[in-house]
Amino acid sequence: MKKLLSAPALFAVAGVLLIVGVVLAFWYSPVDASSMGFSQKILYYHAPIAAAALVAYGVAFVAAIAYLRTQDLKWDRLGFVSVRIGLVFSVLVMITGMIWGKAAWGTWWAWEPRLTTFLLACFLYAAYWVLRSVVDEEQRRATYAAVFAIIAFIDVPITFFATRFLPEGLHPVVVGPGGGGMEGSMAVSFGICMIGMLVLMAAMIVRDLEIELIKDRVTDLKTSLGG
Amino acid sequence: MTIEEGARYVAAAYAVIMAVLIVYYFMSSRRVSVLKRDVELLESETQRRQAPAGGAE
Repeated sequence: MKKLLSAPALFAVAGVLLIVGVVLAFWYSPVDASSMGFSQKILYYHAPIAAAALVAYGVAFVAAIAYLRTQDLKWDRLGFVSVRIGLVFSVLVMITGMIWGKAAWGTWWAWEPRLTTFLLACFLYAAYWVLRSVVDEEQRRATYAAVFAIIAFIDVPITFFATRFLPEGLHPVVVGPGGGGMEGSMAVSFGICMIGMLVLMAAMIVRDLEIELIKDRVTDLKTSLGG
Repeated sequence: MTIEEGARYVAAAYAVIMAVLIVYYFMSSRRVSVLKRDVELLESETQRRQAPAGGAE
């Protein structure tokens, strides 16, 4: 079981799913009939990456609560790496979103609800990183970071529901009742890409957690050697 | 928008995603192997320092 949840195994599963998903997206799913046309193919990775970013922030939120309850630093490590991976995915969402925006709407950026709240999430979690770097004492840093992660998470459901509560924005609802209006073969490709991207996010969190734990071990050994 | 124009945007988006994820994968793999090597070196150094002390007792 432990091997199945190891980073290399998760990377392999994610790689297979993402390749299958993108092959289906290009050769099985039809070209979107709306004004988006072929550029709609960006959706198959763009939306799952956005979902992975928000789920990573969700993991950081859960880890923050767990840390405040237990004061166990392993939860702080999990929260830290989840935010880091969330930020990687967020940057990808912003870049691919801008490319898609230019293709579909004719503009790189629009101050509409989904984009604005997502950008706010990026700034909040970038601030989380800055906050960590200015506090030296480990337990205090972990406590501040956990409280900040809980506050920052308020923006995540707002981002997710922005297109549902404020439908006048440019962003379409992708996943919703009735498949969000997605045709069957598109939904299959999209679903495979979504699972693949979430597994990839899990693989990256496991990998980064492994790095943090080994770094802790290196620090302990250096301390015991007097250097 | 023609398919060719759309394809250019799609290719750019997927290229960015692939580049970032592939670079992340190789950088993180390398980081793990470098850190594991550091641990091995530090552990062997710890054992080496403990060995004479143990032998003298």
